[in-house]
Amino acid sequence: MISKYQLIWQLMHGQRLRYGAAVAALVLGSCFLYLVPLVSSVVLDVIISDNGSGTSPFILRTVESIGGRDFARANLWIAVALIFGLTAFAGLFTYLRGRWAAEATERIIRGLRDRLYDQLQHLPCSYYDRAETGDLIQRCTSDVETVRQFLLNQVVEIGRAALMLLVPLPLMYAIDPRMTGVSLILIPPIVGFSVVFFRKVRHRFEEVDKAEGRLTSTLQENLTGIRVVRAFARQEYEIRKFGARNGNHRDLDYRLYRLLATFWSTSDFLCMAQIALVVFTGGVWLASGSLSVGSFFFFLSVVNMFIWPVRMMGRILTELGKATVAIGRIQEILGHERESTPIVANTTITPPDQRGEIVFDRVTFSHRDGTCALQDVSFRVAPGSTLALLGPSGSGKSTVVNLLLRLYDHAKGSIQIDGHNIANLDRKAVRRRISVVMQEPFLYSKSVRANLMLGHPTATHEEIATASASACVHDTIMEFEGGYETVVGERGITLSGGQRQRVALARALLKEPLILVLDDALSAVDSETESLILAALKSRRGRHTTIVIAHRLSTLMHADEILVFDRGRIIQRGTHNSLKEEAGLYARIWKMQTENI
Amino acid sequence: MTYQEDDDVQSAGLNAALWRPMLAYARPYWRSFVGLGLAGMAVALCDVLLPRVTGVVIDSAVSGAGRIGLYGAFYAGLILLLAFMVWLFIVMAGVTATGVAYDLRRLAFGRLQQLSFSFYDHRPVGWLMARVTTDCDRISSVLPWTLLDAVWGSFLLSGITAMMLWMNWKLALIILSIVPPLSIATAIYQRRLIHTQRLARKTNSKITAGFNEGIAGVRTTKAFVREEENLREFQTLTTEMFDYSLRNSLQAAVYLPIVMSLGAAGVGLALWRGGLLAFTGNLALGDLFVFMQYAGLFHIPIQEMAQRFTGLQAAQASAERLQSLLDTEPEIRDGRVSDDPGERIREIVFDNVSFEYKQGGPVLTDVNIRIGRGESVALVGETGSGKSTIVKLLCRFYEPTQGRILIDGVDYRNLRLHWLQSSLGMVLQEPHLFSGTIRENIRYGRLDATDDEVESVARQVGAAAFIDSLPARYDTEVGESGNRLSTGQKQLITLARALLADPQILVLDEATSSVDTETERGIQKGIDVVLKGRISVIIAHRLSTIRAADRILVIDHGRILEEGKHAELLAKRGPYAHLYEEQFRSQLTVRA
Repeated sequence: MISKYQLIWQLMHGQRLRYGAAVAALVLGSCFLYLVPLVSSVVLDVIISDNGSGTSPFILRTVESIGGRDFARANLWIAVALIFGLTAFAGLFTYLRGRWAAEATERIIRGLRDRLYDQLQHLPCSYYDRAETGDLIQRCTSDVETVRQFLLNQVVEIGRAALMLLVPLPLMYAIDPRMTGVSLILIPPIVGFSVVFFRKVRHRFEEVDKAEGRLTSTLQENLTGIRVVRAFARQEYEIRKFGARNGNHRDLDYRLYRLLATFWSTSDFLCMAQIALVVFTGGVWLASGSLSVGSFFFFLSVVNMFIWPVRMMGRILTELGKATVAIGRIQEILGHERESTPIVANTTITPPDQRGEIVFDRVTFSHRDGTCALQDVSFRVAPGSTLALLGPSGSGKSTVVNLLLRLYDHAKGSIQIDGHNIANLDRKAVRRRISVVMQEPFLYSKSVRANLMLGHPTATHEEIATASASACVHDTIMEFEGGYETVVGERGITLSGGQRQRVALARALLKEPLILVLDDALSAVDSETESLILAALKSRRGRHTTIVIAHRLSTLMHADEILVFDRGRIIQRGTHNSLKEEAGLYARIWKMQTENI
Repeated sequence: MTYQEDDDVQSAGLNAALWRPMLAYARPYWRSFVGLGLAGMAVALCDVLLPRVTGVVIDSAVSGAGRIGLYGAFYAGLILLLAFMVWLFIVMAGVTATGVAYDLRRLAFGRLQQLSFSFYDHRPVGWLMARVTTDCDRISSVLPWTLLDAVWGSFLLSGITAMMLWMNWKLALIILSIVPPLSIATAIYQRRLIHTQRLARKTNSKITAGFNEGIAGVRTTKAFVREEENLREFQTLTTEMFDYSLRNSLQAAVYLPIVMSLGAAGVGLALWRGGLLAFTGNLALGDLFVFMQYAGLFHIPIQEMAQRFTGLQAAQASAERLQSLLDTEPEIRDGRVSDDPGERIREIVFDNVSFEYKQGGPVLTDVNIRIGRGESVALVGETGSGKSTIVKLLCRFYEPTQGRILIDGVDYRNLRLHWLQSSLGMVLQEPHLFSGTIRENIRYGRLDATDDEVESVARQVGAAAFIDSLPARYDTEVGESGNRLSTGQKQLITLARALLADPQILVLDEATSSVDTETERGIQKGIDVVLKGRISVIIAHRLSTIRAADRILVIDHGRILEEGKHAELLAKRGPYAHLYEEQFRSQLTVRA
């Protein structure tokens, strides 16, 4: 895995020159900016003030070079034009700096977002078993925003603070070494105080963040569980609970305000004190004649220009710390290995071969934590036939599906589709042949039609309606106000579990797959509708090989073969008629499910 | 997780009527607000005086008048005062911002606890959360800072203006000529900024939703090999975001140099005109100096105030949404309240009850049901037939649009809502637990239950076996919404919770089979225990539950088609018999 800094460097690829140009503009801009008070000081000294004593030799030489005192006095407008011109120049560079930094940053961030999204789609499913959605989203949104701020503002601000301090030094020294010293006396304590303070109070910021997190999750739980709250009439209790979190957050937040009040007032005081030092030391030297009015003005202006950015250093450095943490968190996603691509070059099943035969040959698969999900599982499904899987939750049925889809890579044994070991096939080629309907199917927040067309982008309306009718969902869809154009999900209507399952089934059928997998896919569909769907599926028999997983035997009993799973092994196999006579799990479940009839 | 920004309601300009109620929420903190205003004035005063003192120092130094020590003491006093005032206004802003945020959240949360379910129906949780979090934050922080900057900025501007006019009005007017262009440039910039910021914020929430969908739908994406197309769609969003962000930055990049140049023009004018005056002896050197300092200072308060104004406008949408939440009256409230009925409820009667949602046609028509104590009624019918609506009306989550629901002969609209809901227990299809331990979750049924009672109900519903197998037993953390437990385990805990509450009326929305048969049987036993001796209404899916019920109501299109016991209904060969046969036809054909 590459380091955080390498990652930033890598992300900046293609934008490095632009970013460099932004830095160069920053340097040039601040150089021009400091020339402005110099012009004013020359004017004050040489042209207006009669008191020539104390004028820096540097300034005198400057004046001589432009044509002498009298020429300058007669043409005061030149100074004004210079001030305006220099500022405009500095402004131009400020603009360029802002523009280039923004262009570079926004391009980098767009690239980063796209890369994250792409990465998320290509991470193996095993990654998602351990990750939390909320956390991943936070990394992709707030952490990316932190990096954006870092590139757009903080790098520039730190650079600006440093340059503002360093650029005028030679000029200051040339004009008056003593005043240079006086102007800088309090800078180390100001920077030091700011850096130390923000380092010390960092955990206070984190405490407030945590308190806010607790507040938010209490709120979220209350709102998602609002029916439970009402059902037990626990409103008062919930209000007290939320009130406690709310109060805790307020108290911590207020404490932070107090701390910040101390910081800003102290650092303001220090900065003002630095200015006061310049004013009064300068005043004394001005009175004694060893400093000119122009130089006095110059130093005062320069201190005013660099002291405010310098004071922000501590805060920016803390933010910088946050940015490195954010980059680290993003790096964890980007650095994770993607689903591998096949080693063998021959990666597609050619059409004449496509029959839909599935063979599992002594397949063993273990979870990451070492528990065995499948052990020594072998079976064959003939093209066009139906295989059913039954067993308690966690017995390995879904693992069979996941391995077949190459969502996970199996450890031992081989899985073959039409004689090809799928480990040697392109994952996507395998998945294109299979349609799967899951127990909790996912629909995109698009129109029903767009969702249905996922697997068959060129489907005609007739094809869509036929598939929907087979899945017993066509009438339901037509009852929606927008029909097939109705948007589902957050931005549209909410479908019930059974409706979602039926839409997903229609989507799978429309794909016209070689292999159809129903992973407990009709669990939320009521029994009457289910029998209609099963009848429709029966009439399609032979068009695809089918694997069905279910708990209801009514769903399974017509399969050509039924496998009963327990703890990762096949413990029984046969047809419905043979299994119900055989002592074992199947007969037991058969009894439970029919005894009530 | 998506906190939708709903900026559509936002209009240009400020709406005073909208802020009036918000100011009312700030009233308890009026002392702090006054302190804030005073501190703002004091800071402005110091800001005006400090350059003036510097000018005086120069003059006295040049003329050799001495007294620099005296001015030094005055200057030191001013910066001490300034520092103290800075401390004061941050603390005062803290008092008001955190206080108002606390109060607004408390009010909003309290209101959410009262509002009827019809309110929740069309609002996603994320949207509601944003009202209590983001909106409250924005309003509470915008109030003190806007006030402070308004006071400080206007005092500083008028202070500088007055001081300059007093010192030399002609020169002052020349310098003041930069104020109009400065104000115009700032106004244009802020107006554009608020527009693009809004666009960027909208796109940003789309990006968040995009990531959310990408993650939640990753298996579907893989199964349908949608990676490339999804990325392409996502890229249109990131490109949109790129455009808006860049536009935002470019506006700032243009605005900043304009302000700088205008400031420099002011300083240049001061130097030029003032220089000529000073040269002829009509202006003290120190005064020239003060003018130059003031000219360079002008743009700061203008910028700050404009920024706050923009902030206020952005917060206006928040204020509008929050206020509409606080103004929403719960549709269901206690009417003319009679006394609570006796200890035990004898019967519940649906008397010609009809119901329709505000949008859409009738859901229930002329429903008559009578349920006595100790009786259980199973509701059977297709999805959308009206089963759940009957339950929602019984719980008074909604009230009938026609007809009455009587509890022991009294229309329940005349009973206390709290009394009804405390007599009610509910076990829902999707078991919901709160984060915390198993013990805490069971105890939610009755808060003063002892540990023994908690464990006893767990045993009765058959949850004890799996709880005892966990290392921390009853102190096991269930995780966010209970996601560390399986669905079956969660269902057992919700049953224990309902039993502990010992409700007189029990509503059970039976889960469709998503658990394996043996677990299901365990849950069934738990349900039997919980139902005993109550008025129970069950939305039934399992045949065993239906058969065990005292009465079955067959619901179709909002009407009761048939009513009776399992055997009676079968014998009638009506809709129930048809439904029953449909459900199990496949099994029956195998047997034949």
